[in-house]
Amino acid sequence: MTEFLAFVQAAADTTGAYSRFPLIGGRGAVWIAAEVHLMFAAFVLGVPMFAVITEAVGIFGKDEKYDRLSKEFTRLLLVAYSATAIWGAVLTFFLTTLYPHFWTHMASLFKVSMWIYVGLFFIESFTLYLYYYGWDRWKTGRAKIGHWTLGILLNVWGTCVMLIANGWLTYMMSPPAGVTAETLPEQVGLWNAIANATWMPINIHRFIANAVFGGSIVAAYAGYRFLAATTPEERAHYDWMGYVGNFIAISTFIVLPFAGYWLGREIYEFNQQLGITMMGGFMSWLWILQAFLIGILFLAGNYYLWVGMGRIPGAERYAPYTKWMLLVLVLGVIVWATPHTMIGSRQELAAMGGAHHPFLGVLGVMSAKNTAVNLMILTTFLSFLLYRRANAEPVVPWAGTGIAVQAVMFALAAIVVVFFGVYGYFVSAIVRIGFSVYQVGAVLATIVGVTAIDVFLLRGARSRGEIRWGQMPERSQYALFALAVTFTWLMGLMGFARSGIRQHWHVFEVMRDTSDQAATPALGYASIMISVCVVVFLGLVAFIFWLSELGQKGHAAEHAALPPPPRSPAVIAAAAD
Amino acid sequence: MWRTNVKILALVVGMLGAFILVANSIPQIQSEVPEALDLGDVTPEALIAAGERVFNGAGGCTACHGLGVRAPNLLIDERGTGTIGARCGNRKPDTSCKDYLLESLTNPGAFVVPGYQPIMQDMSRTLPMDQVWAVIAYLESLGGTVDVTADDVRASQPSGGSGTPGGAGGPTASTDPMEMINAFGCIGCHVVGGSGGPVGPPFDGMGARLTRDRIREGVLNPAATVARGYEAMAGTMPPTFGQQMTAAQLEVLVNFLAARR
Repeated sequence: MTEFLAFVQAAADTTGAYSRFPLIGGRGAVWIAAEVHLMFAAFVLGVPMFAVITEAVGIFGKDEKYDRLSKEFTRLLLVAYSATAIWGAVLTFFLTTLYPHFWTHMASLFKVSMWIYVGLFFIESFTLYLYYYGWDRWKTGRAKIGHWTLGILLNVWGTCVMLIANGWLTYMMSPPAGVTAETLPEQVGLWNAIANATWMPINIHRFIANAVFGGSIVAAYAGYRFLAATTPEERAHYDWMGYVGNFIAISTFIVLPFAGYWLGREIYEFNQQLGITMMGGFMSWLWILQAFLIGILFLAGNYYLWVGMGRIPGAERYAPYTKWMLLVLVLGVIVWATPHTMIGSRQELAAMGGAHHPFLGVLGVMSAKNTAVNLMILTTFLSFLLYRRANAEPVVPWAGTGIAVQAVMFALAAIVVVFFGVYGYFVSAIVRIGFSVYQVGAVLATIVGVTAIDVFLLRGARSRGEIRWGQMPERSQYALFALAVTFTWLMGLMGFARSGIRQHWHVFEVMRDTSDQAATPALGYASIMISVCVVVFLGLVAFIFWLSELGQKGHAAEHAALPPPPRSPAVIAAAAD
Repeated sequence: MWRTNVKILALVVGMLGAFILVANSIPQIQSEVPEALDLGDVTPEALIAAGERVFNGAGGCTACHGLGVRAPNLLIDERGTGTIGARCGNRKPDTSCKDYLLESLTNPGAFVVPGYQPIMQDMSRTLPMDQVWAVIAYLESLGGTVDVTADDVRASQPSGGSGTPGGAGGPTASTDPMEMINAFGCIGCHVVGGSGGPVGPPFDGMGARLTRDRIREGVLNPAATVARGYEAMAGTMPPTFGQQMTAAQLEVLVNFLAARR
């Protein structure tokens, strides 16, 4: 019955269902428009999150430096908002003209939410204008709290916009059970379609990823301004800003894999075949590429911290640990990037005794990979911890005990991770999947517990010397660019994974893609498309930053009076704790 | 400053080039779209060739049955029983190779090979029936005799009329509860009368545990509530019984299960 309906639909769809687009085809046009729109959207949703947090630190900590920083974050948003809207319009026009039948299906089902979406975007834009342009007018007292409330509202509207859009795209991936090709939109129900199986996991995953992405782009901006700085004050300010951006990006990035696990699990629970296509089917090698990218992120993020410790008096006592942390990270990347099954000729497979390499095959399974990534997360957290306390000397009477408890927590987490990693080889797959929860739980508990202890441990800590903001080697700033490029590319890759697992379906098992571009391309082609999207996005972002700088040229006084950054990394870390 | 700009540009271009290089160096697999067969003069050879393309391409079969270890490898000898064409006739008593493969593809929960999880989906949801028959022909050709004919393919097409014996498109039009339980494949996962699979909650005693409405919901929308102790199997039960059963069949089944205390 299902195939009959699909064929009837296909026959009906063939006429006028698709239009052609020059050179890159309809799929390529929609791909670029959707991805670039998403990149801008992630930026304008991520930056307000930490703009409002930074402003709160300035208000409640009575420190104007943070207020200035928050305003600088927000300045970057203004033009980016317009770019987001423009690319959203481009995407809508491409969909209506290139995929009219599909668009009719989506619009008839989601029309009410589309009206709300437009209204919210309108309100969100004007809230931003009020937030930015009212900054200097509402500077003190209750007016300042009111201004901060505008920042909170900006985040609320932005999050609501994201939740609605996520409802549309997750419906395409996991439509509610019982929806078939013949189901009428009114039978599906708007809320039923939005609150589908993967909606909430995607919401959480994107919420965190937006903060990661926004942080990395801001850090790259600060890196550029650092390299272009002409005065020591400017260098110090943008060195600090780069550190804050990187701190936000890496600290939120650490929790992103946990949201990813949940999303993957929900995809499997919704439809085993969809899950297998994603992890074991034609997309299985995508995860090797993902491991390569995440390896770059871990290494570049840690490298930036290690180099940055050179400008903190007292950090030299932690230098001997760096090589061991580097070793753990490199080994982790190698294990994570080991393929599960090898594609080879019949002779090669016969020589190996199967699709698994006799030695490397042991490392290509989830037990090894989960262990590797959890140890990498622990190591990165340790880097942050050492950076944070680099010039701080705890003075609380229980300092020794506190540090010992922290060390034990680290050791226990590592033991739990390794134990379940090894034990996973001796149990069935269904039991092994459950082990990842214990591994993740141990790492998360350690991050939370150690951070909580650290906050009290460093209260009133004695300083070993002031941090020398601005005295950072230039090569460290290129690590910030590497992070921004890799995060952006990774976002494009994961967008391809999420969208591509539907294969030849516009709406999985409900609406077939009957166009001549219905086949989901291989990774090589996808990598070129992703790179085009990244170039377009980064090019436009660079232009936007230049524009925002152009507007500031007249405000020479503001530039000349850049506030000095805080004296200890623990200050900003504490603000973010 | 231009020197810095050039350095940044070189870094970005170099990184993108490296990513593209790595992405193009690993195996290139494109997900193909199932193609409709020309049913005019379909021959066994044409079916086998089409089936091989579906098996290795659009069907996505190799993800589990080829290189992977999630399901029996159909292409090589398994535990001395031969390739799938040689062993398919011996999997289930009194079931021919063709019927067994058809059942495995369209009602995979009915019989799960011991040692494996019931993770396979009803392939008729993603492949047209002519493609399903082509895959069966290809699998039979791997060590067995191909007995799929053009009549099988035509009979499963909607216009043929004989491929959907049930009033709502299900495998049976009967309203006898046990006949339905067998025909719809419930027995593969649920224990009734002491026999059946352990994948889902047993039908025996179901009336004492669940209300009539809850049982009906479980049949129509199995994802709505997952039975305690069966969380790991969530998502296994197809959500399509509501489309396959007639209203009379559904009510007969609900009454039958509600009476099993």
